[in-house]
Amino acid sequence: MIENENGVKLMSTPRSVDIAVTGKCNLSCAYCFYADEMTSRTDLTTRQWLDFFAVLGKAGVMNVTLTGGEAFSRSDFFDLVDGVIANRMRYNILSNGTLINERTMEEFEVGKRRLRLESLQISIDGSSAEVHDLSRPNSFGRAIRGLQLLKSAGFPVTVRVTINRFNYHDLENTARLLLEEVGLDGFSTNEAYPCGATNRYEEGIMLSVPMRRAVMEMLTRLNEKYQNRISATAGPLALAREECAIHEARAKGQMEFPGRGYLTACGGVFDKLAVLHDGTIVPCHVISGLRLGNILKDDFIEVWQTHPLMKAMRDRRNIPLTVIEPCKACDYKGFCTGGCPGGALFLTEDFNQRNPMDCYRILIGEEGYSPDTREKSDDR
Amino acid sequence: MSETIAKDQPLLCNPDVVLREEDEDGGLLFNPDNNAVKIVNSTGLFIWKQFQSINTPESAAVEVLKNFEDATQEVIQTDLEEFLQDMLLTGFISKVINE
Repeated sequence: MIENENGVKLMSTPRSVDIAVTGKCNLSCAYCFYADEMTSRTDLTTRQWLDFFAVLGKAGVMNVTLTGGEAFSRSDFFDLVDGVIANRMRYNILSNGTLINERTMEEFEVGKRRLRLESLQISIDGSSAEVHDLSRPNSFGRAIRGLQLLKSAGFPVTVRVTINRFNYHDLENTARLLLEEVGLDGFSTNEAYPCGATNRYEEGIMLSVPMRRAVMEMLTRLNEKYQNRISATAGPLALAREECAIHEARAKGQMEFPGRGYLTACGGVFDKLAVLHDGTIVPCHVISGLRLGNILKDDFIEVWQTHPLMKAMRDRRNIPLTVIEPCKACDYKGFCTGGCPGGALFLTEDFNQRNPMDCYRILIGEEGYSPDTREKSDDR
Repeated sequence: MSETIAKDQPLLCNPDVVLREEDEDGGLLFNPDNNAVKIVNSTGLFIWKQFQSINTPESAAVEVLKNFEDATQEVIQTDLEEFLQDMLLTGFISKVINE
């Protein structure tokens, strides 16, 4: 552990690292947050990744998440997996599922590849090709086939549904497909974010506030039907749970939750780092604009421990919402964490602001907001 | 069910287990094969390190006694036995079988 001047303890190395092993992808999804990075950077070589995994192993990193681009599009993908295993780590994979076939399944049976696989997440964005392919072109059949191969072989497969304007009306059918027909234990949800390909989509793909409210109600209803088998750490379902908790607290006369009222959202910077496919180190793949260095020339652990941007992101939890301009007069600030710093960065150009997408006051219509209207505040 | 460990039984840490020394008062042992995690205090950490190369409980006890002077030999023997039983049971440490 290392300790900063405020007495806050920090693990001397991250426990987990998210790694985009490639910028190549066989799809071109409408809301891909990584789309801009994919076109502007080049992949590291096998040797460069393996050397990096050795650094992580020596640092005691426990878990890596391999993503892209599409991770399975690398012909040396399983060589990279073996490098992770040789350095005593477990791994997760995020994939579009379309390149998973019988040959892939055979590859997983070699050595400890399957033993060390923590989870394999496939993206499914609708109950049919007509809906799914609007977000993820020409891929529904192959993605479902990959999912079913993994499920029938007993893999730790999970599904993420990213909710957007193309599929928000199809959630009931999507839940039926995934939970009843495919037979998953559950699936997770999030929503399209204002970055990458989303920004280039002329007609708009992000949910409006009324759409988000409709999705919140639908997911709450589906979770009653399916015994809470739908999960979320962010996005409409997470907001619905938050709203319910706020209603209950206010009904009891409470005006705050313990530890809230500050920019405390997202503990990721205390636990993990991320690396882009050219070796650029960032706090999180979603906020790839905050560049901290490159694994080819910088000391990864030193970046974790001492980089001023990491320190600033960790220190944001000391900023009270009473000094954030749109939050000063908010009756709900005692319940609030300010939301995802990535969303705040995209929509206000400052991660030390609130994320309007997570704002309860906006959600209940007490403050007008459109995702297309970006706010900027330098009053703090 | 736990079995008695002979004092001269050679033992060795599971080479796949990761040690994260996250605090001056101890650390975290992580077995990536089964995702098991054990939090160990400073004494446990010291004992763990005695078995990073092949060692016996008897020799480890001597080193523990040297480094934790406040503890009696009896307490150390009991604590060491309990710690090693748990480590063997959960696969963090293994017996070394001589050919």
